[in-house]
Amino acid sequence: MASGVTVSDICKTTYEEIKKDKKYRYVVFFIKDEKQIDVEVVGPRDAAYDAFLEDLQKGGSGECRYGLFDFEYTHQCQGTSEASKKQKLFLMLWCPDTAKVKKKMLYSSSFDALKKSLVGVQKYIQATDASEAAMDAVEEKLRATDRN
Amino acid sequence: MSGGVYGGDEVGALVFDVGHHSFRAGYAGEDTPKTEIPSYVGVSEGDTAAPMDIDGANGNGLGLSSDVKQFGKKYTIDTVNLTVPKVGMEVANFLKDGQVEDWDMFEKVLDYVYSHSLNAEAEYHPLLMSEPPWNARQKREKLTELFFEKYQVPAFFLAKTAVLAAFANGRSTGVVVDSGATHTSAIPVHDGYVLSQGIVKSPLGGDFISMQCKQYLEEKGIEVIPPYMIASKETVWENEKAKYTKKPNLPEVTKSWHNYAVKCVVQDYQQSILQVSDGPFDEEQAQTMPQLPYEFPNGYHQEFGTERFRLAEPLFDPSGLRGVGTTMLGAGHLVTTSVGMCDVDLRPALYGSVIVTGGNSLLQGFTERLNRDLSAKTPPSMRLKIVAVTSTGERRFGAWIGGSILASLGSFQQLWISKQEYEESGKSQIERKCP
Repeated sequence: MASGVTVSDICKTTYEEIKKDKKYRYVVFFIKDEKQIDVEVVGPRDAAYDAFLEDLQKGGSGECRYGLFDFEYTHQCQGTSEASKKQKLFLMLWCPDTAKVKKKMLYSSSFDALKKSLVGVQKYIQATDASEAAMDAVEEKLRATDRN
Repeated sequence: MSGGVYGGDEVGALVFDVGHHSFRAGYAGEDTPKTEIPSYVGVSEGDTAAPMDIDGANGNGLGLSSDVKQFGKKYTIDTVNLTVPKVGMEVANFLKDGQVEDWDMFEKVLDYVYSHSLNAEAEYHPLLMSEPPWNARQKREKLTELFFEKYQVPAFFLAKTAVLAAFANGRSTGVVVDSGATHTSAIPVHDGYVLSQGIVKSPLGGDFISMQCKQYLEEKGIEVIPPYMIASKETVWENEKAKYTKKPNLPEVTKSWHNYAVKCVVQDYQQSILQVSDGPFDEEQAQTMPQLPYEFPNGYHQEFGTERFRLAEPLFDPSGLRGVGTTMLGAGHLVTTSVGMCDVDLRPALYGSVIVTGGNSLLQGFTERLNRDLSAKTPPSMRLKIVAVTSTGERRFGAWIGGSILASLGSFQQLWISKQEYEESGKSQIERKCP
């Protein structure tokens, strides 16, 4: 079941710019007039994770958002001497517990639409409080599917 | 209503959420239902003189008669009417296993909700109704047929309770633990769709606990006298025998009605006294917990200690139950079994959002205990997170609120099954539009 909210083309082009051209580090989406998912802000390539969290929560404690982040980390496979650098894209559904039910409902029921239009995202993360959105929690989830 | 209207945001949709305990109805966009009436209905054989419905062809329920005396049966609906003792009135429920079983009675209740509770005319309001995730296909089609044919609704949608509850908690993926009157169930939801192969349910719900309480009170020799029998009472000391006078000339009520009246009292006892213990029930530890006083309608009162915890324990650990113990699953077990039946790749996401909803989950200590039981069982590689709203209203009406918001979204309007679509393609539309 979905909400019928659509995804604007600019979301897809921005996503491609991150995925292919590596132009930005992250992007935050929001739902405009309860009808369409649109881009709110983009983060420069050298932005840190904290800046992403800040932008994600800029709307205040009563607002929900979607965030896409190009996450980089090093990973060492067993039996190799050198660690390799990895890049993974993840899409986050940010619905703080303090948000109004209506917002939560709107964002969670439209998440599927966004997922479908952004092809190639490695991980989907649902976060309802700061501990779930924190960098180590996210990194743990991304690493969970790596081979040792 | 023509197709053009669906572009607009405000369509005045109605939302119905039908549960075993009560029927919630109201307008989409509001934060609580306008009305909540019991799903129990009083049925009495009408006077022999009452006009019998001669037109038997209307038996399929598509007749337009709103006469409640149809077939010589009289239905008594709503709290106020139901609590008045009447001769020969039996109490019955139109649901069975969460699905509509007695369509005649269900229609009467719908008539009542439309005409008395909401004062709305069905043909002007699109309707979003909730359904249990295991609703059978023919029941769904029959519902669609009923609303389009009999009530002439302009648009209709069926949404699964678990999905609505998950959305209302800000999650599109997770396991919904719904503890209601007749069931406690664990339902995995992924991207807003129920994974039906992973549904696990057990009959250990609120009604079951009520039964346990009743049994316990009987064993203790505590008489539960429903308020309708009491004319006056005196204040007595704790544990002292109640001093009350019975109402004279009580009508001869049926057994089922009396039981219903007793159940209402037991339910109140259950809500005010019971608590789920933090860990597995331990007699000694329970004795250290504070006792709570409870006063019955007839004036008798005493303090309850360990039984507060013992009576609620079967929800999580049914092994202590006589006879059935080993065959049933406690709430924690339900979740692990349900998740175990889903795809391995999904499991971390499911454990990562366990959503608690349903009126019975409001028992004190329910979520804490679930958290404890589950953290012992969750694989170490996965993170457990329990999502539960604290306010009682949101927990009891979780599915209704979800439906209310969904139906009021401007973007949702394109997803309704419109009357036109129904007329063109028939009731099978429901499987296509509301999977």
